[in-house]
Amino acid sequence: MIQSGVPQETLILLLMVPIIATFVAFSREIIGIKGFGIYTSLIIAFAFVATGLNYGMIIFISVLLAGTALRFILKRFRLLYLPRIALVLSGVTLLVFFMFLGGRYIGLADLLEISIFPILIIVILIEKFVAAQIERGNSVAVALTFQTLILATISYFIIKWSLLQTLVLDYPLYIFLGIIIINFILGKWTGLRVSEYFRFKEVLQHIDLSEKK
Amino acid sequence: MLEIFTKSQKILGINARNQEFIKPSHFKRARCVIDNKLLTKRILNKAGIPTSKVYGIIKKRSELNRFNWNTLPNSFALKPNRGLGGAGILIVYGRKKESPSPVWIKVDGKEITIPDLKNHILNILDGNFSLNSIPDVVFFEERIKILKLFKPYAWKGIPDIRIIVYGGMPVMAEFRLPTKESDGRANLHAGAIGVGIDMGSGITTNAILYQKLISFLPKKRLILRGIKIPYWSEILTMAVQSQIAANVNFLGVDIAIDREKGPVVLELNARPGLSIQIANLAPLRERLERIKGLKIKNLQKRVKLAQDLFGGEVEEELEEISGRRVIGICEPIEVIDIEGRKHSILVKIDTGAYRTTICQSLADKFGLTKTIRTKRVRGTLGNEERPIVDLSFILDNRLVSTEAFVANRIEMKFDIIVGRKDLKQFLVDPAKNVFMSEKVLEKIKEKRMIK
Repeated sequence: MIQSGVPQETLILLLMVPIIATFVAFSREIIGIKGFGIYTSLIIAFAFVATGLNYGMIIFISVLLAGTALRFILKRFRLLYLPRIALVLSGVTLLVFFMFLGGRYIGLADLLEISIFPILIIVILIEKFVAAQIERGNSVAVALTFQTLILATISYFIIKWSLLQTLVLDYPLYIFLGIIIINFILGKWTGLRVSEYFRFKEVLQHIDLSEKK
Repeated sequence: MLEIFTKSQKILGINARNQEFIKPSHFKRARCVIDNKLLTKRILNKAGIPTSKVYGIIKKRSELNRFNWNTLPNSFALKPNRGLGGAGILIVYGRKKESPSPVWIKVDGKEITIPDLKNHILNILDGNFSLNSIPDVVFFEERIKILKLFKPYAWKGIPDIRIIVYGGMPVMAEFRLPTKESDGRANLHAGAIGVGIDMGSGITTNAILYQKLISFLPKKRLILRGIKIPYWSEILTMAVQSQIAANVNFLGVDIAIDREKGPVVLELNARPGLSIQIANLAPLRERLERIKGLKIKNLQKRVKLAQDLFGGEVEEELEEISGRRVIGICEPIEVIDIEGRKHSILVKIDTGAYRTTICQSLADKFGLTKTIRTKRVRGTLGNEERPIVDLSFILDNRLVSTEAFVANRIEMKFDIIVGRKDLKQFLVDPAKNVFMSEKVLEKIKEKRMIK
């Protein structure tokens, strides 16, 4: 395929999708990191790959803070949901606009070279985070956002891992086979998640195994 | 390490709940029925199970505009039909008098007007509180009146009882108390308190707040252990009936107790929370495995069996549940003398006497001679004026500081009798310690000899 003109970079990114998806599934089922699910973690990780981790992180966090602040400002006007989210998105877009302007002023040339799509993705994902704040409460939303960010960052390093990149290119079939097996095991896993060992530690202490009564 | 792994297999985690207990039997049905509160009500009412009354339903924006607000009573609960985790529920407990357009008062004491209500209802209709943001229906429901017994424990809202039912048997129960943090909702994620309930007796055991064990109601210092839930077996039976009516294998049934109507089913939950295991300090998966495949036709028998299987052994747990120690008729105590030294002595527990009495000779020996006041008593031997002294002793590892009568008890077998005034921390079991009195006396004598 590479000889026929498909860029190597594209191929690697494509083949990384199932690996990252499996990683997110593993974190959820075995470790218990919830996050916002596969899609959000995956798309942020790929956005980070496109923007670079530093800029990606800066944009993500500032956009998130701005979105949250806007939500609190708009709260008192008691607007309906969709117009309110539209306003939040507009505000966030404005912020990104000024970031570009500021970047140009200071002379951060590489900020201006970032393609617009990853930034758009981050901006649009704000809806998800703000919706979580409204529906599930602030503390849950902060926890979920933080977990998603961690998952995305780890995913970023997985994608950038050169050993895995060559493996994926050389043996794509074996990787796929492995992924299928791992996901079947994950899908049938009924044991406790790592996080649940902590959650139920008092219960664990109270179980006595002496069943011979 | 291996031990922890074996233990962990008895706990129900999210994976096991979704894989083994929810999925096979009722995934689709649970989706249609349980997540739809109005349909649930209809099904339960058909089976003769009491639920709270519905005053009105709003399905579309046009219906909202035509809605006659004056049909609403002074207190009601407004709920989204497909709400998740108690989100979107608005409870109103009073209507402001002397205002031309209706103004209600919310649980937090703030006023709410028709425009506010309309805005909230529009949000619900748009699906902002429903699963997957599907447009939703709003209904007005009768507000349940809280039981006097529960009133000190709950903040504004109604405490409810969550029963996990599996295959026609109640498995585990939890008493859920709304708090200020949870905004009057009995939802544990929102900050409500969960209290485990002993399945056998319906008496509360351990309590949790945000998955952490607590023993008192925060700020109020009320003990959460030992509350007896009224209508206990009725509630269990009702939970099982609801599960059968809903025809869903694994279910959380939420039941509240109305002051006038008694137990009422609030809602059913297809994905009951797992922290109930912490509140009960008991693993759920083990219980579920034990009754898997069990087939008993008679409903009452099933409930009774579940109570026996999962209830604690009452005698053993009595102390733990009531927070009081069980003592016998003869108990060894340690009397603290005027210099703070401890003296072991065998005493008689006498619930027939009000005040503790100590023998004159013993009081002199311990230096407890300072009379606080005297009191006339009428006994079998006629009227007598008895002095009262300060007395401190340790009974069953608990310090009791009291005022005791001094009397001449030389003729009696016991030098001290402990009256009911000082027994409030204890439960007396006349069958306990009856054989050990002689031995204990001997031991005490031996100790004295050594000294």
